[in-house]
Amino acid sequence: MAENSALKDLRLSIEQGDEEGATAAAQAWVEAGGDPMKAVEKGLREALRNVGEQFERLEVFLPEMMMAADAGNAVMEVLEPAIAAAGQHSESPGTVVIGTAKGDIHTIGKNILAMLLRLAGFQVHDLGEDVPATAFLEEAKKRNADIIAISALMTSTMPGQRDVVSILRDTATRDTYAVMVGGAPTTQEWADQIGADGYAETASGGVDLAFRLIDRPQLS
Amino acid sequence: MVNFFEVIRRALNGRYYTETDFAMKVVVPKLREVLEKYDIRYDAENPVPDDDDLADRLFQAGLELCAETGCYCTSTSRVIGFTKQEILEGLRDAPSAPVFGEGTDEKTMVARQPESDEPPYCFLGAGGGIATTEDVYVRLVEGYGRNPLINSVTCPTITLINGMTVQAGTPLELLACIRSVELGRAALRRAQRPGLPIMNSIASAVTDAGKITGSAFGLRNTDAWVVGFMAPLQVNFERLNEVAYVRARGGQIVGESGPIMGGYAGGPAGTAVISVAYHLLSVLVLRASAHLNFPIDFRYGCNTSRQIMWPFSISTQAICRNSHLPLLNLTYVAAGPMTEMCLYEIATAIVNRVASGGNIEFGGIAKAIKLDHLTPMEPRFASEVAHAVAGMTRAEANELVKKLLPKYEDRLADPPLGKKFQECYDWGSIEPCQEYIELYGRIKDELTGYGLEFN
Repeated sequence: MAENSALKDLRLSIEQGDEEGATAAAQAWVEAGGDPMKAVEKGLREALRNVGEQFERLEVFLPEMMMAADAGNAVMEVLEPAIAAAGQHSESPGTVVIGTAKGDIHTIGKNILAMLLRLAGFQVHDLGEDVPATAFLEEAKKRNADIIAISALMTSTMPGQRDVVSILRDTATRDTYAVMVGGAPTTQEWADQIGADGYAETASGGVDLAFRLIDRPQLS
Repeated sequence: MVNFFEVIRRALNGRYYTETDFAMKVVVPKLREVLEKYDIRYDAENPVPDDDDLADRLFQAGLELCAETGCYCTSTSRVIGFTKQEILEGLRDAPSAPVFGEGTDEKTMVARQPESDEPPYCFLGAGGGIATTEDVYVRLVEGYGRNPLINSVTCPTITLINGMTVQAGTPLELLACIRSVELGRAALRRAQRPGLPIMNSIASAVTDAGKITGSAFGLRNTDAWVVGFMAPLQVNFERLNEVAYVRARGGQIVGESGPIMGGYAGGPAGTAVISVAYHLLSVLVLRASAHLNFPIDFRYGCNTSRQIMWPFSISTQAICRNSHLPLLNLTYVAAGPMTEMCLYEIATAIVNRVASGGNIEFGGIAKAIKLDHLTPMEPRFASEVAHAVAGMTRAEANELVKKLLPKYEDRLADPPLGKKFQECYDWGSIEPCQEYIELYGRIKDELTGYGLEFN
């Protein structure tokens, strides 16, 4: 009962974006000898999933989601040493390198997807806006990424998504990374045309797609 | 008013923030503070509120937000800040009746009031929509020009030039920008409206170089250049380069903002307040002769949802009651051409905006993201509804919007995409097909039954 109550406090602090409260709740959990992995699974991830779902229903907005993510990061700083000390490790579903296509400065959709991916437990490396194709590749290699995610909000910046796939082919690294594309003018047809591995119309659809891509057999 | 050189000086020397800190530590907390201080609360029951005191409080909230945050320049990571006094002086000196167009198509854009019987200025066309080929582009623009209610045109984006996909930042972008202007002018001549102003400058332009280069091939100082902010309350040097260029040649700017409901501005109330702040910054930072605002519902990528109606209406009322800089509202609908839903969305949005005091830009069809899914019929419908709504009270508009929303709102997440221009129109005559004419007539008859009087 006390364990459930402690986890509830942890979840509530994260959902409210209360970094101090979340840190204190995580510290209390560890000091009481609680299983740190349980705090990750039943506290942190569940709280972040709740926030993501509330965002989809427009019950909370981007700032609240960012504050919850910050609180989640603070919690992980407390839990990670305890996880390591227990000889365990925290599993992330995968690593994503994300950015907007070359020439595109529209970042909000990309920022929201990055946030939802983080909330879902992915390691996300955000290259920001107006990202050259080669920068996606360099970062993916450096981070040993699973997925490259590219957003474009204009028809004339969509070719930047094609360029990434094209360079992956030219450098014989096409099968090393899954490529997902999105942004208002993009479609599944476009993704097929350029040889991307997936397309998502919405940010939450992007998270589902990332999970599907992580499971694809050809990823090495 | 603070001069443009001073704006640049502040962009170079203003207070430094990281982009995230500006959004999360400056804009978000201040926005929450003014929402509380001025008691701005979303009213889900009234998509067109009728409360002048609320509108005026909202304006004061936007003014305070603007004075506290300023505008963030992403090129320098510095804030272009203004005092409340400077903002009010800017508002005092802002243009009130800019004139666009030439000859018989010369027209003054006025700052309307809520419930005004003055017909709104109708800026019509593609609203950022996408055309595949030059042939489609020319036919669309000629079709737009044939509408007797059009006051200025918004040309589509070209995606192919000489069979090659246009790519931002390459010579293809510059060539597409040049081609857009040449074809747009030619199409308006074909429509017998050579003086009609092109008001969205060049939709194909992504970079400042593209827009400035294309301008030299046929844009006139009686046209207008749309120059936009980024969210939240941001600008960059590419956009300010465009401002410098347009001012030097004696042209006029329409400032643009598209606050995202669900983003940094938060929900409906925050979206309404930040809309006012953009309007004020448009005067000082973009040196605008008019401002164009289009809040977007993040969930659907359009602005015809129930929740977006209130912030659209109350921010328009707040601005129109307190600023003489003309305001335009741009509508994006979710459904595509030749669908019932598309026409219902247009009617709902235009009633909402025009009764609140706005002029109109129309508009984005099928969210302006489906190739060739746009025709001259949708802007024509919007303009006819807009003229019919002029003089309607907000209370009447509120009831009508509540009647129309249930006709489509449950399909916003998965709207019908309709048909392409080529399927809705006769290619040679550029006239709509019989099926579309009948649908158009049926929805107009229904609206007449709700009290709209079409000429």
